[in-house]
Amino acid sequence: MLNTWRQMRPRARREALEGYLGISPWLIGFLLFTLGPILASLYFSMTQWNIVETPKWIGFANYIKLLTDDPLFTKALQVTLTYVALAVPLRLVVGLGLSLLLNLKVRGMDVYRTIFYLPAVLSGVAVALMWIWIMHPDMGVVNNLLSLVGIQGPRWFWDPSTALISVVIMQLWYVGGSAVIYLAGLQNIPPHLYEAAEMDGANRWARFWSITLPLLTPTLFLQLVTNLIDAFQVFTSVYIITGGGPLRATWMYMLYLYEQAFQEFNMGYASAMAWILTIIIVVLSIIVFRTSDRWVYYEDTGEKAQ
Amino acid sequence: MQPKKATRREFLRMSGLAVAGMAMATCAQPAPAPIQAPAAPAATSVPPTAAPAVKKPVTIQWWTVPSEEFSEEAQRKLVDAFHAAQNDVRVEISVLPENGFSEKMTTTLGAGEGAPDVSFFWTDAWLPQALDLAPWIARDKFDTGQYIKGFFDTHSQYKGTTVTLPLGVGANFVMYNVKVFDEAKVPYPDMSPDATEWLQMIVKLNDPAKKRWGGDRPRGPYRAIWLNFGARMYSDDGKTVEGYLNGPGSVAAYEWLWDLVQTNATPTPADIELLGTQGTGPVDLFMAGRLATATLNQGHMLNAMKAGLPFGIVREPGPTGKPRHVNSWSLAVGIWKGTKEPEAAWTFLKFWAGPEGQKFLMENGNLFPSIRSVLNQYPKADLPHVKAFFQILEDNPVRAITVRGWSNSGILNAVKDLWDNINLGKIKREEIKPALDKAVPAAQKALDEARAKVGL
Repeated sequence: MLNTWRQMRPRARREALEGYLGISPWLIGFLLFTLGPILASLYFSMTQWNIVETPKWIGFANYIKLLTDDPLFTKALQVTLTYVALAVPLRLVVGLGLSLLLNLKVRGMDVYRTIFYLPAVLSGVAVALMWIWIMHPDMGVVNNLLSLVGIQGPRWFWDPSTALISVVIMQLWYVGGSAVIYLAGLQNIPPHLYEAAEMDGANRWARFWSITLPLLTPTLFLQLVTNLIDAFQVFTSVYIITGGGPLRATWMYMLYLYEQAFQEFNMGYASAMAWILTIIIVVLSIIVFRTSDRWVYYEDTGEKAQ
Repeated sequence: MQPKKATRREFLRMSGLAVAGMAMATCAQPAPAPIQAPAAPAATSVPPTAAPAVKKPVTIQWWTVPSEEFSEEAQRKLVDAFHAAQNDVRVEISVLPENGFSEKMTTTLGAGEGAPDVSFFWTDAWLPQALDLAPWIARDKFDTGQYIKGFFDTHSQYKGTTVTLPLGVGANFVMYNVKVFDEAKVPYPDMSPDATEWLQMIVKLNDPAKKRWGGDRPRGPYRAIWLNFGARMYSDDGKTVEGYLNGPGSVAAYEWLWDLVQTNATPTPADIELLGTQGTGPVDLFMAGRLATATLNQGHMLNAMKAGLPFGIVREPGPTGKPRHVNSWSLAVGIWKGTKEPEAAWTFLKFWAGPEGQKFLMENGNLFPSIRSVLNQYPKADLPHVKAFFQILEDNPVRAITVRGWSNSGILNAVKDLWDNINLGKIKREEIKPALDKAVPAAQKALDEARAKVGL
């Protein structure tokens, strides 16, 4: 690298220096506030540390305990994986469906788009408190509506058998944010493809399967990755509404991590948990990236991703 | 040279990678963690034999929060009063939002620098960073006996020495709505109500037609009611769970909870979540007359007094004839051991948590002092419910039994499912004892680990 620098002409060097100077605020911020804490947490994950006293080096003991001797960790992982398996596909499908609706040429569509996007900018705590009102077994809107058609609604967040699915349903509230990204993807699909298909006699369904969906796969891919990461980190709603209960039905990974870090002051243990979660997310992301070759189409090459 | 134009595929891949990178960053930083261990030089815990005459004013930092007990204004006035009383020490007050105060203290204490000279030490994990006050107390013959004993014993000690002083007192007790009792023609409860009679009473007070419950539910096990039943998590020496967590007292307390839930005279967890006041008990329901009785605290008592609500105060229920316990608290205040001005910090701490400071905050705020002689000067001390509150403060503190220098959360986790099952009505009464027996091995393991972590 030093040789490359020496071989550069003065002007190129100056440009390079200016470039680094330009990105330096981000670079310094990244090194100090992102990379530094990441490396620190890796070190802390191998210590017993309560924050206010000197960390005590214990090697891989935190990891070993987590993976072999902590039923609450196993439970948290199991609940979170179930949640991810339910929430991610549902969010992808509902987000896509909503974006198709928001892509219709209807009068006042901008208003609808704003309305559906609004939940994405609301405070998570306020939304959680609102959902307590919506899903309350006796006084909630949902069960009152169900009772009008003779159905006795479940106890939603307050029954172990329905608590997790209630959280999944609640998270759909934020799907407007995804829909906006889908919408951008939809609007990038060249109209002439639809015109050609129509001329060939393709119906709506065929146009969706043969044009919309394939050309939307890059956006779907991005949504899959971001939703996957988001889903693993769900926290606010369960912290506010269920606290992980009842009977640990909503005992999410981040809840346990938070409890260990900020209630029990087991910062070393919590750091190890954070690293295990990071590894899980990275592995799943790599799998998604690898499989993308088979299902993501790019319009610029006209081929599947390679 | 033409810059290489990224294709959409490259862009999306890069976006995906960037998001994954950010997620890693988010996951991997549970705290804005300092890398080095606390490095602050500890202030000497051996003070000069006599308090030196300080030549010029020394400035110290005081971090505090506004609360129901003391507003920001009252605390600023307290600083003025302190300055007026002496010329040697100047206090720079920082009134921080309560939300986030703990995180700020934790991180600054962890960093070993930038912590305030004087502040609250209300989290046990901070106590290793508090200055040992014992030598200063001895030198100045500071009277620690002036504090209500239970509060001093449970809110000032760490590893056998005094590291903080208790500021103010608070407690849970049962408030009953006189109007509701009169309307239902139910006699008011005794000062020490019997647990079984309590269940019968709340059934009489319950009135679904008026959307009124007879009483609320305990918010966790091994607090006052549990201890009233004689329940313990572990033996007195803190080593054994078997025979305690699943002992007769524990079984009786859980069975009482089961009976309480079965009365249907209490709000469900969903009702409390919806209608209760976050974290502080169902005060709104009580004030609205929808809960005939509720376990509340002295702040709620003041609210009810202000609202002109007729009410009374009694202890939390328990079996007749057994010693009563109270879930009580105080704010531990102390000096950071990294302070460069321990003498000045001690001068202010003595004032803040001593008779003058507590009296000032009582008169200019809502603090109930932890010093008996000052508490007795409370302007409304003759009111029956205030008298009852003062009486309850003398009961055995729950903390004296349950706070032993290690974390009990692992033990409580072991019985969490039983708690949920009872509250959900998903367990039979006779299944309680087997459920507790089943929880013993996990609880014992949690206890052993918690003790080992603090070097026991």
